[in-house]
Amino acid sequence: MDYEKIVNKVSEALVTAGSTFSEDKIRAYKRAINRESNPQSKWVMEQILENAYVAAQNRGPLCDDTGIPHIYLEVGKNHSVSGEMISAIHEGIAKGLRTLPGRPMAIKGNDEQRLDQSGGLNEDSGALLPAPIQIRNVDEDVLRVYVLMEGGGPAIRGKDYRVFHKHSVDTVVAEIVEWAKEAVAQLGCSPCTLAVGIGRSHYEAAAMMMEAQVHGNYDIQSNLEKKITDEVNKANIGALGLKGDTSVIATFLKVGPQRASGVRVVCLRPCCCFEPRVAFTDL
Amino acid sequence: MKKLSTPFTEADIAQLDVGDMVYISGYIFCGRDAVLPKIVNEVKTDRLDKKIDLKGNVIFHTAVSPAGVGPTSSNKLEIEASMIPLSDAGIKMHLGKGKIKEETVAALAQRNAVYAVIPPVTALLESKTTERVCVAHEELGMEALYRVKVEDYPVIIAAAKGRSIY
Repeated sequence: MDYEKIVNKVSEALVTAGSTFSEDKIRAYKRAINRESNPQSKWVMEQILENAYVAAQNRGPLCDDTGIPHIYLEVGKNHSVSGEMISAIHEGIAKGLRTLPGRPMAIKGNDEQRLDQSGGLNEDSGALLPAPIQIRNVDEDVLRVYVLMEGGGPAIRGKDYRVFHKHSVDTVVAEIVEWAKEAVAQLGCSPCTLAVGIGRSHYEAAAMMMEAQVHGNYDIQSNLEKKITDEVNKANIGALGLKGDTSVIATFLKVGPQRASGVRVVCLRPCCCFEPRVAFTDL
Repeated sequence: MKKLSTPFTEADIAQLDVGDMVYISGYIFCGRDAVLPKIVNEVKTDRLDKKIDLKGNVIFHTAVSPAGVGPTSSNKLEIEASMIPLSDAGIKMHLGKGKIKEETVAALAQRNAVYAVIPPVTALLESKTTERVCVAHEELGMEALYRVKVEDYPVIIAAAKGRSIY
């Protein structure tokens, strides 16, 4: 595989992730707008949809918080990933950030300076480093790179904690719903898509949450996903917190392997009205 | 749908009610938590650049970066604390997102000023923004005070006359 070709493909995937609503998300917004009874919330969702059309047309940012890049790889059994390939993927991320353009928000300096932000900001959009890569083996004959752009608001309001399940799905769901009501109300940029991962450790739960964003589909909702969405929507939070029928457009839930013990580790991200911002390219 | 242009008159603001959906146009200011306390301090000590005319104007709580503009939470301590002193200096509309305190809602009403929220629709706002000029504290980069020219920004009145939409 040509190095430059990988750079350009990943760059284009990042720009698509940051600027484009998927077809199923557009359909979900149209359904939500049609059923919304609160005029202010309806108007906000119409603006969000119009924003998506303008962003796609211009290949420009959906939101000024363009997000932190996260990379997720799917590797079929006849494919391999080399160190050079990962370098090219990282270079593609930097190129994509400069093209979108991403908000320049990389903090300079040593550990302490990065914590208190005393080292200042790097003015280069491309200086924003991606999070560590996740890799999955898949049956499909592909080497597929997904790029996700994760904004700051959902990271502030997300939660990653253990739930004592008491051998009951309802107990776990009820806890997720309670967390989500609080998180969506605080987020501001609703309606949300709830990304939820459930695993055996905090690492695994967060990985499942990311996988839920990669494979979630607004047209295909499981009973558990529907139940969580419906329960949170009863909270009457609405778009931008202005009250209304749609606080949550959908829930993307990934349940990983579970351990024989009293806890399930749940990771919840209340994705903002533009998220998940995700796109892929096959190398 | 109401339409208003800056600078706003006292009458422009007095007619607004909570829930009104309004398109605003004209020159407005942009600033957030890094720069607003500095502007407040300069207003209080009469050191604000005389070329910055806040009367009848808007403060949009946003950074101005190459990615565009979009509201940050107005209930951040430094931002909400700026609303009353900047209203005293002539600002008529504080534009951002999120719920603000009851005492801020009441104090804005006493000054015939309003708080409005704007959807975080960066691409749409970019298509409605024609000029961007840094007017103070350039050292803060995207968090400096900017003056931008806008055409039909979509806003919802969230606090007016002592009432809040939240």
